[in-house]
Amino acid sequence: MMLQSEAVKQKPMRSPSSWSILWREIVRDKLALISLIFLVITMAFVYGISLILNQSEIVKVDLFAIHEPPSENFLLGTDYGGRDVFGQLIIGTRNSISIGILVTLISGIVGIIMGVVSGYFGGTVDNILMRILDFFMILPTLMIVIVFVSVVPNYGVMSFSFIMSAFLWMGIARLIRSKALQEKELDYVQASKTLGSSHLKIIFTQVLPNISSLIIVTMTLNLAANIGLESGLSFLGFGFPESTPSLGTLVSYARNPQTLEYRWWIWLPASLLILILMLSINNVGQALKRATDAKQRRG
Amino acid sequence: MSNKKFRWLFFALVTAFVMILAACNESTSQTEEEPETETESGETETNETEETAEETEEEPEDTEQADGLYSIDNFSNVKGEDATPIEGGELTFGLVSDTAFDGILNFNFYDGDPDAQVLEWFDEGMLTWDENYVYTNDGAATYTMSEDNKTATITIRDNVNWHDGEPVKAEDLLFAHEVIADPEYDGVRFDGTLRNVEGIEEYHNGEADTISGIEIVDEKTLKITYKEATPSLITGGIWTYPLAKHIFGEMNVADIPSSPEVRQNPIGFGPFKVESIVPGESVVYTKNEDYWRGEPKLDKVTLKVVNPNVVVESLKNGEVDLVSSFPVDQFPDNAEMANVTWLGVTDRAYTYIGFKLGKWDEENSVNVYDPESKMANVNLRKAMAHALDNNTVGERFYHGLRWAGTTLIPPSHPEYHDSENPGLAYDPELAKQLLDEAGYVDTNGDNFREDPEGNELVINFASMSGGEIAEPLVQYYIQAWGQIGLNVQMLDGRLHEFNSFYDRVEADDEAIDIYQAAWSVGIDVDPGGLWGEQTFYNMTRWTNEENTRLIEEGLSEAAFDLETRIKTYKDWQQLMVEEVPAFPTVYRAILVPVNNRVQNYAIGDGTGIYRHQLAVSAEAAETAE
Repeated sequence: MMLQSEAVKQKPMRSPSSWSILWREIVRDKLALISLIFLVITMAFVYGISLILNQSEIVKVDLFAIHEPPSENFLLGTDYGGRDVFGQLIIGTRNSISIGILVTLISGIVGIIMGVVSGYFGGTVDNILMRILDFFMILPTLMIVIVFVSVVPNYGVMSFSFIMSAFLWMGIARLIRSKALQEKELDYVQASKTLGSSHLKIIFTQVLPNISSLIIVTMTLNLAANIGLESGLSFLGFGFPESTPSLGTLVSYARNPQTLEYRWWIWLPASLLILILMLSINNVGQALKRATDAKQRRG
Repeated sequence: MSNKKFRWLFFALVTAFVMILAACNESTSQTEEEPETETESGETETNETEETAEETEEEPEDTEQADGLYSIDNFSNVKGEDATPIEGGELTFGLVSDTAFDGILNFNFYDGDPDAQVLEWFDEGMLTWDENYVYTNDGAATYTMSEDNKTATITIRDNVNWHDGEPVKAEDLLFAHEVIADPEYDGVRFDGTLRNVEGIEEYHNGEADTISGIEIVDEKTLKITYKEATPSLITGGIWTYPLAKHIFGEMNVADIPSSPEVRQNPIGFGPFKVESIVPGESVVYTKNEDYWRGEPKLDKVTLKVVNPNVVVESLKNGEVDLVSSFPVDQFPDNAEMANVTWLGVTDRAYTYIGFKLGKWDEENSVNVYDPESKMANVNLRKAMAHALDNNTVGERFYHGLRWAGTTLIPPSHPEYHDSENPGLAYDPELAKQLLDEAGYVDTNGDNFREDPEGNELVINFASMSGGEIAEPLVQYYIQAWGQIGLNVQMLDGRLHEFNSFYDRVEADDEAIDIYQAAWSVGIDVDPGGLWGEQTFYNMTRWTNEENTRLIEEGLSEAAFDLETRIKTYKDWQQLMVEEVPAFPTVYRAILVPVNNRVQNYAIGDGTGIYRHQLAVSAEAAETAE
């Protein structure tokens, strides 16, 4: 008996893992917790429902149901093509969130690799990579995106995400590089080098995990911005065709003064949803950010 | 080509509003009409004709029917004198456009409709026309045609003077011809109409010092002889815009469009004079007391550019009294606007769907029909026309302000439009039957028909973006075709911007099988400007002998007889219904709101109301509560 309880006691007290710190911070911050729950529910709902919704049925033009106000048949009314706004909202939210996540992931991965490689190796490698980065920074992004968007033969969620990502990896790359520059001077990296670890191993199994909290925080905050990306472009008239609904296409119907003034049900739900989604993600992101800094933690 | 089209800034638009090249004030449909998009065209014509003293029709009280539909029949195109006008007064005219006007303010040089709107306040053509677009003798000049219909004698009235007091002379009109035919002239007016003047080609090529076909009889009279006598001559075939020789005579032709006399202090002989111009934004006019029809009633007119997004608000708060055009899609929500009267007229335009059936032969400037093209089967084309329910489209999308088209001559030309020809009306069962007969059947069970050889049939449909209803309309058409088993896809999966759309359609892009476009018909009904064998704008590239024969016949000397010409065009309309290189989808109405205080205003042709009669019944514009 004694031995057993001894064994339990002897189990070393590990310092809390970075995951548990993040989690604890979110739980302590009521706003962030509510935001997170809202996000999870929304996403589950949207992705779940859209599995059973028939997109081609929803975007089908119905001449006899144009501009119907909300009713039992159409929970949120219909738009100027007689299409159900509620269905479009579900599919639109799914598309917009997918874009946000895809863009964040793609640009994040590219940015992290560029940043870590350039920070870790330094010298000429750093120089070359940073000049490439500078080149991308000075491009008039919006114009180029618009051009790409109008020439791609197959305009959909995937192609849009790739186009956007091509111009959005620079910020994160800079951030990661500066962190990697600090990190590589630390003793554990030097020790690992002395022991003969390969660069790849050091970068991916040692440096990266050590800057993972920074990565998580940046990516989360980026996600909020990226959901809005597509909406902005749609509003300018370069969004998806109406057969691919998104939050942006719904909001852009409000460019018509008549819709704006008389038919709130078309654009208001989507606008509110964008606002709430972005706020929620931001709340979670802020909580995560605090978690990475011991001085600011609440938990 | 590109200078003929207007670029539009799509960024800020709500209603993408397309300017058409409005060159056609006084030309045949031959050349200068530019197709418009699915939006409201901004083209209006002040048409000065019979001085039938103000016959004003009563505006019907209730324009709306119980089912929420409107009909163009319930709109008058004239707002007469329903209240006592005050002495003098000022008025604001809204030029509805989302871009600035170019500011080439001379009829001999301007290029776009917005400029024409500015021009029409202070300048005019010498001949006016009636509601059938035939020249009358009520304008600043009178004319007679010779026996052989080749020579027009034009006599300018004695009291017609330029704004600077100089009389308008015969040599000014000759000078206009000389400038336009000058090799250095870079405008768009040197076209089929003017090339018909005898000796003008030689002058243009530098082989002659004078235009042999134009003869000055005396200071106010000249004779113009044409190479060919066609009925088009008296429906827009005479160039009637003089150019003030005492001002422009010494200039290089190439410098005229950029001269201050065109840009800053333009000159004309119309009812108002230009007082000041803010380039691209506004123009202030004062009355021309010396106007030949009599002193205008208004003291001052201000023209300003109004964005289509804010036109409703501007009208409501009385900021503008009149507008050049009004976006039809905003009408139903504003039909009850208290402070305006709505005028309406049938637009000289139609929207159509064309089938790509050949190629443009650049070398010989001729359309070459390709019987092997994808859409070459006439039953397939007919079936596609029968599949569309355009009446419902007009009722649902446009609240009745557009309605199903039947033939390729719109009802805006009542003499020639064959109202008895039903066209290819909505009949999906007939459509399916036609496809079955032609051998288009579904062989692989994917619910879409394959072509007679059993290959998959995918039809690529090009259409323009812009215009409120563009996208659902295209979606609806694709659905309707889907229902008769045709697999139609949007070209590249999206709508195309105005300029790139026309670039691709005109260049016979291989990927395009069918396209939707709009065309505004010239004042002369001659369809050769869009459907002729040698017409570049015949973007279907379809042509056959019968078509060419009928178009030529419509312009021949025999066609001076109205009955013959009507018969010819009836045959032509029937031919186009049988061969279906294209079919009209909808005809359209133009609606223009006019503030209640405005008196004596009319839109459309042949109304006999002129701008010098325009008056107001109150100092300030009425506002909506």
